[in-house]
Amino acid sequence: MVASSAVLNRNPAVRTPSAKTAARRRAFFTDLVGMSPTLALYGAFIIVPTVFAVFLSFTHWNVDGPIKWAGFANWSRFFSDPVSYHSLLVTLELAGFSWLAQTPVAMALGIFIAGTQRYRAVYATLYLLPLLLSTAGLSLMWEDVLFPQYGGLAWLGRHLHMAFLSRTWLGSPNLALYTIVVIIAWQFVPFHTLIFQAGRRAIPAELYDAASVDGASVRQSFWHVTLPQLRYSIVTSSTLVLVGSLTYFDIIYILTQGGPGDSTRVLAMDMYNVGFNQTEFGYASAIATVLGVIGIVLAVLLVRLSGFGSMEGTQEGIW
Amino acid sequence: MVTRASLKLTRLSGRAAAALAAGLSISTAAAVAVPATSSYAQTVSASSSAPTASISVWMEASGTPVDNYWVAQAKAFEKANPGDTINVEFPAATVFNSKVAASLAGNNPPALTFGWGGGRELQYINSKVVAPIGDAGQNDAGNPSWKKDFVPSSLGAVTFNNKIYGIPVGGTQPVFFFYNKKTLAKYHLSFPSTTTQLLADVKTLAKHDVTTIALGNLGGWEGLMYLEYFADRIGGPQVFLNIQAGKKGAWSNPAIIQALSDIQALAKANAFEQGYNQIDWPTGFPDALVHSGTAAMQLMGDWDIGNMQGYFPGWVASGAMGIGFFPRVPGGKGNPADLEGNTTDYLELASHLSPAETYVAEKFAAWLCASPAYAKFEVSEGLVPVIAGSSKLFASSPLKQYLVPIYNAVQHAPYFQYSWDQALGPKESTPLYSNLQKVFGLTETPQQFAKTMNTYL
Repeated sequence: MVASSAVLNRNPAVRTPSAKTAARRRAFFTDLVGMSPTLALYGAFIIVPTVFAVFLSFTHWNVDGPIKWAGFANWSRFFSDPVSYHSLLVTLELAGFSWLAQTPVAMALGIFIAGTQRYRAVYATLYLLPLLLSTAGLSLMWEDVLFPQYGGLAWLGRHLHMAFLSRTWLGSPNLALYTIVVIIAWQFVPFHTLIFQAGRRAIPAELYDAASVDGASVRQSFWHVTLPQLRYSIVTSSTLVLVGSLTYFDIIYILTQGGPGDSTRVLAMDMYNVGFNQTEFGYASAIATVLGVIGIVLAVLLVRLSGFGSMEGTQEGIW
Repeated sequence: MVTRASLKLTRLSGRAAAALAAGLSISTAAAVAVPATSSYAQTVSASSSAPTASISVWMEASGTPVDNYWVAQAKAFEKANPGDTINVEFPAATVFNSKVAASLAGNNPPALTFGWGGGRELQYINSKVVAPIGDAGQNDAGNPSWKKDFVPSSLGAVTFNNKIYGIPVGGTQPVFFFYNKKTLAKYHLSFPSTTTQLLADVKTLAKHDVTTIALGNLGGWEGLMYLEYFADRIGGPQVFLNIQAGKKGAWSNPAIIQALSDIQALAKANAFEQGYNQIDWPTGFPDALVHSGTAAMQLMGDWDIGNMQGYFPGWVASGAMGIGFFPRVPGGKGNPADLEGNTTDYLELASHLSPAETYVAEKFAAWLCASPAYAKFEVSEGLVPVIAGSSKLFASSPLKQYLVPIYNAVQHAPYFQYSWDQALGPKESTPLYSNLQKVFGLTETPQQFAKTMNTYL
């Protein structure tokens, strides 16, 4: 993507100003017509509900009564409530640990399956399997694997005499969040592996050839060629990991319901409880708005800090 | 069957349940063996110029023969009362309360609506959208003649300001210990009558690698039943009534602190199986533990009889399962015959109906729900009716060895406490679940629990 736009800019026909303006205008109208169904759907199902959620966050709305204006009541409640503060911390922990768990593994796997080793395709297929499972299905599978005493892991522990495997992975407040992080990583690492595989495949062999001519070791090629070239893959993958973890709900809902106690109660779980158990849709909307804002801020920060927004190629000067 | 799990979807939304306190402190000390012959029904059919109307009735869809029974009874009522039309509808459990709320907000509710009484109904009463029920054509709203046809404790959750706002339509759901008789016998134990004895049994059973109590506490409501019983046995019914009334610092009551410490003593003694805080009761795992003898007992609502029968019909029919009252706490104030659980469910009457509609609704509700035929039907479905004098109906039930003692326990209970989570409503029950899970997991002290919960009063 990035590489091809860099190539297009080198086309002399597009470079003359008048041709450029005309082409842009034409492109704009074609784009608008082409995008109109998407824009309409995006407006109806994303923009309108988002605006409505922000509006609701300033109201009290229990289903058995009318919507009443609440001013900043929900917001001052959010910022003074130890429960939501705790949930915010758990959410940020989940996002941080998810990034730490997923990005390095996905990068290593992506680089590996982008190579030309024997049986690479077989490994690749195996690595990608979790991607094909539904979240509910894999949650139930993990529930069985991690079941105390009778689960798959406890069974392994007994037979391999590794007692440490037999513990209450989801029932102990010190372990539950990390266990969830590992399960989420297991589900999503394959997806990020694909991103890194594509990124690694797009790095021209000439760069490695040049590096080896200069006497670079494998490690040096990784640090000075692969890693910088994968910059945008890293940004894309990290944005998806971090923003995705903010709204992570289904595995947690099925496996722990936010427990034990409140040790895995992320904001999304809190929002569900407040909205659908306590039928306080105003306050739930305030939590949803907070999640939305954090997501947008994170995404913008990543894009800014990495220079991703300027859409410069990573391969300037090699053509 | 309405299990506690399915009730989780429809928890009460209001915390303004203070007035419930009076309604729930029901004493059934008086004898209640009045047979269910509804003298009132005859009075009504004798009147020649009865008003007629067409009314709607909403029952929560059960997916069981109960639904068909209701439709058939509505037809029978129409036949016996020409000119009346009864439209019974069955909204699904997951959307039931929001549908009711929408119909109330739109000022177009059905004449009779299924509900659980308690805090949610009190909200409706305060919004003046439900009315007290009386006898059709009589000026006795809130004090109907069929009151005597029901076990008194069953009307507590719909009695507000001494007026009755609902007629029972379901079975009663008290909580007991269900135990494996063979397992206890094997180790020469009888079901413990005191909590001291229970702790001693935990030690004995542990020596034989048997877990004493099977517990699945993922949802939080499962563990709550222990707190409900310990608190009652230690301090009596008033302990929770103070909490429900929102009295300042009510969670710091020494009875609550001791109850939580007793729960932690059980946890520390490994009374529960490993990982109880991560096991979900509806998976059936605790049932399987008790059936296999890996665990000796579990504390559960009487709907577990139906569950167990579904999983292990032969075992249940052989009488292998024992029923035990929650043990007495030595030195405690509570009566060991007190019960905790869901009393029953109800039909609630809408206000803003025409006089003719109110007349037909009251007539239909009493005609169906207070009748001996209805009690008979409930027994055939494995339910324990709250209609007085139902005990003789159990004779033909394959589950009678379980249903009779439960019926008797409800009849003679000095006090039947409505489940705390239902009584308090979701705003308090959500933090109650999570903090209690921490107490069970030994990561929160009873004092910390009380301090946190006091902030929700």
